[in-house]
Amino acid sequence: MALEDYRTDMEMCCRCSICKFVPLEKLTEKRHSYVCPSIARYNFHTYSGGGRTSMGLALLDEELEYDEKLLEVVYNCQMCGACDMSCKYAMDIEVLEPINEIRIKCVEGGHTVPALDGIISSLRNQATMVPGAKAKRGDWAAGLDVKDITKQQAGVIYHAGCRVCYDQDLRQVATNTIELLKKAGIDVGIAGENEICCGGRAYQMGYKEDFLNQAKKYMEIIRKSGAKTLVTGCADCYHAFKVPYDKFGLKGDLEVMHATEYLARLIEEGKLKPTKKVDIKVTYHDPCHLGRLGEPYIHWEGNPVPGHIRIFDPPKEFRRGTYGVYEPPRDVLKSIPGLKLVEMDRVKEYAWCCGAGGGVRESNPDFAKWTARERISEAESTGADAIVTACSGCEQNFKETIDECGSSLKVYDVVELLARAI
Amino acid sequence: MVLKRELYQALEDVVGPENISEAPVILGSYAQRGRPRFEAVTLPKTTEEVQAIVRLCNRFGVQFKASSSGWGAYGDAGGPGVVKLDLRRMNRILEINEKNMYVVVEPYVIYAQLQAELMKRGLNCNITGAGSNCSALPLAAHQGIGHLSVSGSYGERNQLALEWVTPEGEIVRAGSLGSIGQWWCGDGPGPSLRGIIRGNVMPLGGLGVYTKAAQKIYHWPGPATFPIEGVSPHYRPNQIPPGFMIHYISFPSPEKLSKAAQKVGEAEIGFILMGFNPGMISANIATNNNEDLAYIKQFTDSVQGPGFLIIMAGNSPRDTEYKEKALQQIIDEYGGEPLEAVEEPKNAGGFMWRFIRVTSSIREVARASGIFAGEVGGTDVFPLMHQYIMRSAPVKQRYIDEGKLLADGTDPFVQSVEHGHAGHAELLIRFNKQDPGSLKVAGEIAQFANKTAIEGHFGVPGHAWGDAAHDQYGPHTLNYHKWLRKIKKTFDPNAASESTNYITADN
Repeated sequence: MALEDYRTDMEMCCRCSICKFVPLEKLTEKRHSYVCPSIARYNFHTYSGGGRTSMGLALLDEELEYDEKLLEVVYNCQMCGACDMSCKYAMDIEVLEPINEIRIKCVEGGHTVPALDGIISSLRNQATMVPGAKAKRGDWAAGLDVKDITKQQAGVIYHAGCRVCYDQDLRQVATNTIELLKKAGIDVGIAGENEICCGGRAYQMGYKEDFLNQAKKYMEIIRKSGAKTLVTGCADCYHAFKVPYDKFGLKGDLEVMHATEYLARLIEEGKLKPTKKVDIKVTYHDPCHLGRLGEPYIHWEGNPVPGHIRIFDPPKEFRRGTYGVYEPPRDVLKSIPGLKLVEMDRVKEYAWCCGAGGGVRESNPDFAKWTARERISEAESTGADAIVTACSGCEQNFKETIDECGSSLKVYDVVELLARAI
Repeated sequence: MVLKRELYQALEDVVGPENISEAPVILGSYAQRGRPRFEAVTLPKTTEEVQAIVRLCNRFGVQFKASSSGWGAYGDAGGPGVVKLDLRRMNRILEINEKNMYVVVEPYVIYAQLQAELMKRGLNCNITGAGSNCSALPLAAHQGIGHLSVSGSYGERNQLALEWVTPEGEIVRAGSLGSIGQWWCGDGPGPSLRGIIRGNVMPLGGLGVYTKAAQKIYHWPGPATFPIEGVSPHYRPNQIPPGFMIHYISFPSPEKLSKAAQKVGEAEIGFILMGFNPGMISANIATNNNEDLAYIKQFTDSVQGPGFLIIMAGNSPRDTEYKEKALQQIIDEYGGEPLEAVEEPKNAGGFMWRFIRVTSSIREVARASGIFAGEVGGTDVFPLMHQYIMRSAPVKQRYIDEGKLLADGTDPFVQSVEHGHAGHAELLIRFNKQDPGSLKVAGEIAQFANKTAIEGHFGVPGHAWGDAAHDQYGPHTLNYHKWLRKIKKTFDPNAASESTNYITADN
C-alpha cells in the first residue's frame, strides 16, 4: 500500500472535526474533551487528522513542497491513532494509515528530520532505537536463570524491548515479568544479548524499509527458537509484532501477547495468586499501542462497488479500536488485594496519549512533555496516588515529565504492582 | 497574492508568531480541494485580537473571514486576498447561569461540551441538527435548528445578548449587554440588531465576527451523565433513565403524519420530534455503510408510510404516564404504527442517546459518500413547511430511478419547532461526488426547490445564500435583497468581510 491507495479515503473527509474530540457520545467533561494532542497543542486545522488527510491529497497532486513547515507538521504527531478512532465512530475511512504513508513518502523522498535520522542510524548500526546505548542489551537479565532461546528451545519468548534493555529505571518490569512467569511454571526464554529491536517505531516514523529489515531478522530469531508465543511488556513492541508484522505477512502463526494479557490469563487459571495487600489508589493509563492500536490487523483485498455509497467487494471491515486490549491490564490490577482503581475521563479507545510515540519524544521533547503533562493533570484529578501503565515508553515519558513539573504522582507498570502482591 | 510584509508583521504582532501562518501546508488545509486559499490563517484568542485583525484588514484593503468549528464550506475563502480568523482558541464557556437559565459561550465551544456541562446541572441546550461537533454559539451553525428544537427551540429564538466585532472593527455589545453589562436579554435595554445580525439564514461569515453570545437553556429531566457503556462504535446505555421513552411511528399518509405531529405539539409531549425517514433512522444505528444498506431495507419494509421519531422525557411518574397516554391516543387517532426495531431493548437506549447528543448526523449525511446536499425548507408555520417539502420531494424518485442518487427513500423530514409553533423541513440526497451527473442533479434539485418555493409562495428557504439566490428570491419577497445590500454596505463600507455566502453590496 502507498499513499495513492488511500486517495479515496482522504477525499471522503468532510472536515467535520470529530477527529479532534473524544467520541461525542462519551464526552462528559469539557475539560477533557480533546483527544488529539497535535491539534490541541498547535491549533491550526492542519495538525488534525482531517488536516493531515488534506495534506496527503495535496502531496499526491504535487501541490506542496516538502518545506520546513510541512515537515514540522508531519513529525509533530504521536501516531496515537485517536483521530482515526474518533473518525471511524461515524465514517468508513482510513485516517491513520494515510498519515503513516505520508511519513513513508517523506522518508522515501529524503525529507526527514535529523533527530529521527539519528535514531534510525542507531537501528541500522546497533539494532536498537536507543542511540549511544552503552550497556549490553542482555544485562537486565543477569542472575535471573532464564533460558537463552538462541541456545535452548522454549515455549514462550519474552521480548524486553529497547527502552527496557537500556534504561535502568525500567528494567524492573522485565525482571518482574520473568519471575512471575517462572513462578507460574511457564517455559519462558529470552534472546538476551541477541535480542534486537522489533522495528515498530521505525515503521511509524516512516522508515518502512528499516522496519521490514528488522522484522525479517527478528522473525528468523523466533523461527529458530521454536517458540509459539511471544510475550512483551512494551505496548509499542506488542503493536509491532501484532499489527505491522501481520500486515506485511511476517507474523505467521506466532501468538503475540502483551504481558498483562498473559498474566491475566495465569491469574484466571489460578497459576498466579495475588495475596499480599498493596494499599494504593491508582489510575490506569491505556497505552495507545496496546489499546486502540492493539487490535489485530485485518487482511482485506477488494474493490469499491460502484455507486453512491462507499462499500466494497468483499465487504471491508475497518479497524476502529473496538477490539484493543483494554480489560486484561485492569483485570490484573483488580486482582491485587488492597489496590483501588479509579478511572480517568479519557480511557480505553479514547485515552489521551502519553506523548512519547511516533518519534515525538526524540524529535520534539517539549511537545512530548506537554502532552504528558496534560495526562498527568488528568490523572491527578482522579485523586490517585499513582498512574499505572503497561508500556515502557509511557512510563519513561511520565517519569521524566513528573520530575520536571514536580507532581507527587508515582508511576508504575502493572507488572510491578502485581509482583508486589505475589 | 502574498500579503504585504507590513500587514503580516502587524498581524503577527497581534496574535504572536505561533498563531499565524502563511505556509502552504497550513493554508491548504483550510480550503476545499480546488477552491481558493486564504492568504494567511490567524488564531486569535480574544475579542480585542479579533478587533485588531479586522481593523488591519480594513486598513490594508484585504478581506477577512472567521469560522468556528469550520465544517461548512461557507467558512472558506471565496477568492484571493482573504485572511482567515480560525476562532479555535476562543473556546471558553464563560457563564452558566442556572437561576436565569442562560449560558454564555465563545465560538469554539462545541455543543457536546456545552451539553455535558449543562446536564451535570440539570440543564440542557438545543443542538443544531448538523451535530454536537458544531459550534454552540447560537449565531454559528447556520440557523441552529435541531433534533431538540421541539422542546428547545433554535438559534434565532434562543439567542440573547451578544458581542459582535463589526466588519469595520467596532465592538458592539447588543441587548442587555450593551446597556447594563448583563447577558440575559438579546433585545434590550440596549440595541437589539437581531434582524440585521442574523437575517434569514445568518450572514455565514459575511458581516463581521461574533465573539461571544448568550443563549437560553432548558430543563433536563435526565441523569447528570447518560450511562453509556461499550467501546466505539458500539455504545449504548446500560439502562434507559426513568421517564425516557422513544418511538418511531409511521403513518398511512403524509397528511396524517402532519396532523399527528401537530397534535404532539399541542399536547406538549415531545422532547425530540423529527420526521426522519427510515434511511435516516438506519444511518443512526448502523456502524458502517454495509449495515446501513441492510437497515434501510429492513426499516423501509417495516413501515407503512412516512413517520416521525419521538423521544419523550417525563418529569415525574405522572408526567410520564400523561405523555405515554397522549401519544397512544394520537397514534390511535391517526393510524400510526410503531417501528418495533427502534423500541427493542437492545436498540432503544442507543438510539435515544445518539439523538439527544446528536452524534449521528455525520453518519447520516457524510458516511455514504463524504457529501450530502438537498433542499432545505425554511422555518415557518409547520403545515406550510410540510406542504412545501412534500410538493418538491417526489422529484428525488426520478433521479434515484436514473441511478443518479442513493436509493435511501424519498420521504423528506419535517420537524416541529417549539411544540408545533413552527416547522422546518429538509429533503436530503446522498450521491457519489465524483460523478458529474450526480453533481448536476444536486443543482437541478436545488433549482426545482427554488421554483417550488417561489411559485408556491412558501417563503425564502434556508438554503438561499449568496448573491444569486438572494437575487432570485428578492423580487418575489418584498425586494428584501435590496435591503440586505444596504445593510451590507452600511456596516461594511470597505467590503472587508468576505461575503461570498452572504450578499455583496455591488450588485
